[in-house]
Formats: sequence, structure tokens, C-alpha cells
Amino acid sequence: MSLACSRPLISVYNDKNEATGTTIKMPMIFRAPIRPDIVNFVHDQMSKNHRQPYAVSRKAGHQTSAESWGTGRAVARIPRVRGGGTHRSGQGAFGNMCRGGRMFAPTKTWRRWHRKINDTQKRHAMVSAVAASGLPALVMAKGHAIEKVAEIPFVVSDKVQELQKTKEAVDFLRKTRAWNDVDKVYNSRRMRPGKGKARNRRWLMKKGPLIIYNEDQGLTRAFRNIPGVETLKVDSLNLLKLAPGGHVGRFCIWTESAFKRLNDIYGTYAQFSKEKTGYNLPIPKMITTDLVRLLRSEEIQRVIKKPK
Amino acid sequence: MSDDVVWSIINENLCSYKVKTKTQTFCRNEYNLTGLCNRATCPLANSQYATVREDKGICYLYMKTVERSAFPSKMWERVKLSKDLDKALRQINVNLIYWPKFMKAKCRQRFLKIQQYLIRMRKLRLRRQKKLTPVRLKIDRRETRREQKALIAARLDTNIEQELLKRLKEGTYGDIYNFSQVAFDKALDAEEMESEAEEGEKENESDEEETEINPEIERELEGEYEDSEEETHEFVEAEDSDIMSDEEDLEELNSRVTKLLEKSSQAESSSDGESADEESGPSKKRKLETKAKKKRKTGKKKMEIEYEIESSSLPKVKVVGR
Repeated sequence: MSLACSRPLISVYNDKNEATGTTIKMPMIFRAPIRPDIVNFVHDQMSKNHRQPYAVSRKAGHQTSAESWGTGRAVARIPRVRGGGTHRSGQGAFGNMCRGGRMFAPTKTWRRWHRKINDTQKRHAMVSAVAASGLPALVMAKGHAIEKVAEIPFVVSDKVQELQKTKEAVDFLRKTRAWNDVDKVYNSRRMRPGKGKARNRRWLMKKGPLIIYNEDQGLTRAFRNIPGVETLKVDSLNLLKLAPGGHVGRFCIWTESAFKRLNDIYGTYAQFSKEKTGYNLPIPKMITTDLVRLLRSEEIQRVIKKPK
Repeated sequence: MSDDVVWSIINENLCSYKVKTKTQTFCRNEYNLTGLCNRATCPLANSQYATVREDKGICYLYMKTVERSAFPSKMWERVKLSKDLDKALRQINVNLIYWPKFMKAKCRQRFLKIQQYLIRMRKLRLRRQKKLTPVRLKIDRRETRREQKALIAARLDTNIEQELLKRLKEGTYGDIYNFSQVAFDKALDAEEMESEAEEGEKENESDEEETEINPEIERELEGEYEDSEEETHEFVEAEDSDIMSDEEDLEELNSRVTKLLEKSSQAESSSDGESADEESGPSKKRKLETKAKKKRKTGKKKMEIEYEIESSSLPKVKVVGR
């Protein structure tokens, strides 16, 4: 599909999964080029930004006054602990090969933990991720159970933002057939292998639907306790949530107002973004991506040599 | 966007339906036509797609078009294929009339394959179906051992034997019956043992009495057996008793016993008092016999004891043999 091509009308559904009369023209972001390589790279870099430094103690392995005995004593020349009267005396010290010595290249806190990513790159990745979430094929390939969802991209009326109770939230998900995805999350729950268990990362689960809203009027608290479901504000879309694992195609549920704001936030090709100064959507390398159709087209066929 | 873009993303990056083995890549998507992961057969990367699927023996033709690609709940159009093979094939042809040849051919092929396996399933259902049960080694081992133990615990042989003997005693088999020699001897021995045991008990008791009780009281007791002291047949130590051997003792005893018997038989008719003796005689004889037997079986010690007792209790009378 080309730049100028179809921007279909997306119908808005109410919380009972009925199509309300309203339709919104699909924001141009969903027609942006999908670049899984950029998404992967940016995701990689971005995920490093949440790290906490770790390091070995600065003094570790050096809290001895060991000195080498030198040659002529029929022992190896590594520094040995001074004094006597204990097992420790005469033992090797300081080296990474010694027991109780310092490690090779002790880890330092001033390691470069965080990564800078260019704004445009970040935005490009973001845009690709959102565009990918609008293709049912990619969402299915990612693994979400969306076979019974009414439409992709899935836009819901703003009433969802006003939900207060988790019960209502569950009811909403059930009615809109998004609950299959949550079921999948429930079934995938398993204990993490390794030390992470004891470090507040006990349970592992798959990811469920992501709900993107414009204004939180109780929505976050309503959906908070449902496993796998995450909520996000349109203003601060998070690539780590839109493309978990660096792979595009998360199942997103948009609220109407959030959906409408996408054009303003990211711009259309015809107009720049209103909120990001000087930003416009990335221009694709190929405007018509359907190569087969291109090759069969008149213009090209006329020029190609006939097959032998 | 276009199928090519989707395919490049799915193929190179992540597709949750893709299963890779050393030789092939499979597609776990339920709507896949061939089950392999290919550009042409990927249901996700082709916006125009058709499959044949079977549900409870009924085949359906599923079709997907570009127009409905954004609506997952309505994406697949389902056409029920008739049970008649020819009609169904014609249905496929009609529904996929302007579709690419590849898709049509694959649909027909898949339909035929499904029909074949359905026929096979029906045939199998009619035959005897082998039920596969797993070999439960642990359980089997446990049960065989328990069976063995139960067999031993039942003690079938002894119970059967007892039952048969009981029936014999009751007389359900009548008089004539063929016994095995071994069993007969066994039974005999058993009975002898019983009777011996009884007498042995009596003997033991009497021996004890003799040791404990005074000789005078003994005489009184003995008096029950014998009326007159005159004709008391009492056994006396031989003069050279200490030097004598066991066997000789035995022989002596036996000889005395026989003499006693003769005497008693002679004196039978004469007096009533003798009758008592007679009674006492055989009883005594019996006693002696059993005592003798016991002596044979038991050791020297016992014999000595008995000797002493007898001599002390009874007045010494020399028996003159004829």
C-alpha cells in the first residue's frame, strides 16, 4: 500500500463490543514503514536504561599486606601473606588465580550502564511498533489470541477510561473477546528458574493486551490486577511495552480519544507533528511494497526483456 | 501493509507458529494448507488464502480475502462441503474459481487427504480396536509378590489335608478307601504319639508324686492299686545293680514283667484280691512297658531315678522265678 493509499475508517466499539456509529480515519502512523531492525536495536539500547549498577567491593582481595618472597625459596613468585601462626600465612594473595585474591578486572560502578539513543531513532522505532500493532497478521504471529476480536486496530469508546472496578474491566475484556489473550497469560504462568525467584521476579508469564488511553479516570486501577494486561498513556508510549522482547506486534486496545491524538502526536506525512517539534513520520524506502504487483505492472513489463 | 512486508518480518523475526526442525520448518497455524512454513502457504502472509478443514467428519472450505483482513472475527468465510466427493470437489472449484492455481490445487489435494483419513478412521472404528495399556512395572512387580505371599498364607495343602481327614473321620467316604502308604504311616505315628503323650503325662505325674511323697503315704497310695501287701509284686534291685548295664536292667525288667504276668494269670481264678492285682498287673505292666520305652528313649539318668524310687517305696521281696 502506498503513502497516499487507503486510510480506512476504523469503527469505535463500545464496552459491550457493539460498533457505535462513530468511525475514525486511521492515523497515518499505521501506514509508517515497519522496520523490525530499528525496533530491535532501539529496544536493546532502551532496555539497558533501567539497569542498576553492580560491582565488586573496591577493597576485595586487597585487604592483605602480602609481598612476594622473590626467587630462591622454591616457591612460586606470587605475593604471599606475611606473618605466621595461622593458615593464611604464606598463602598466595592479590592475584585472580589465588584463593581469596581479587578477581580479574573487578567490576566497577562507573561502567556505562545507560545508552543514549537518538530521538529520531527512538521515534522511528516507536512508529514502527505502533504500525505493526495495526496488522492482524503480525499480532497473531507475535502470539496473541485475537481470532475473535472485532477489528484491528481495536478502538474502544472513552467509557473504558472511567472503569473503576476490576470486575467491570474483566467484563469488558470478556465482551470484546480480548479475554482469550488473558487466558493465555494465565496458562503460561510458571516459576522463574534461577536466583531471580528470590529477587522479586518469581513468576514468569506471557504478555496480554495493552490498553492505551488518553486520560486515566480509574482505568489503571481497574486493569491493574489482571495478569498480563498493561496500561499506557498516549503521551508517553513505551517501546518496551509496545514491542516486548524487541519483536513487533503487541495486541493494543486504544481508547477513542487516545486514537484520535495519534495524528497530533506523530503527525501525518502531510503535516508535521504538533507535539514533537519538527518531527514527521519516517519516509519509507519503498512506497509500494508489493514487489510482485510492481513487477507485473504495465510500466515495468513494457521495459523488461521477454523471457527466453 | 503488503504481504511481502509481513512475510519478511514473520520469516526473519518472530513467528509464534513456526516450528523449526533440522530438515524442515513447520507451521502450527490451524488454517495452514500444507502445514509447512512457506511464503506461499503462510496464512498470515497471504491476504488471499483458502484451506479445507475438517470438523467432526464434515469438511469445510475456508476462504480469506483482503477486504476482511482487518476484522479477525469475520476473516474466514466458511463453506460446508458436501459428503459426496465429486460434488465437494466441484464446490471447491466453483468457490475458488478465479483464485491462483496453486491454491486451488492444494485445496483439492488437502480435501482428498482428509477424506482418505476419514475413511480410514471409519474402518478402524468397525474393527476391533487395540487398546494400548501401559506396562506398569512397579505395580506388576508388587502384585506378583503379593500373590505369592497370599498363596503361602493360604496354606492350601494343609487345609485340604485337614478337610479330607475330617471328612474321613466323619465317614463320608465309607470304609474302603485307598490311602497312600506314606500318609497312612504318618497318621498312625501321629496317633501313637498322641497316646504316648497322654501316658507320658500320666507317668510324669506319677514320677513326681513318688519323689515328693513319703514312702508310707506312697504305700497307702499304692494300696489303691493293691489290696494285700502279702502278694505285692514289687521290684527289687538286683544285688549287683550298680555294675549292671542299661540293657541288662531292661532285660531284667522285662523278665520280671513277664513273670509278673504269669503269676497274675495263675492267681486269676483264686482270689478277688488277685483280680485287683491283675488289674494292677497289666496296668503296672503297661506302666513298666511305657517306662521301659521311655527308658529306651531317654537317657541313663532317668532309669536310675526310677530304680531308686521303686526300691525305696516298695518292701524288698525277692521274686523267685519258676
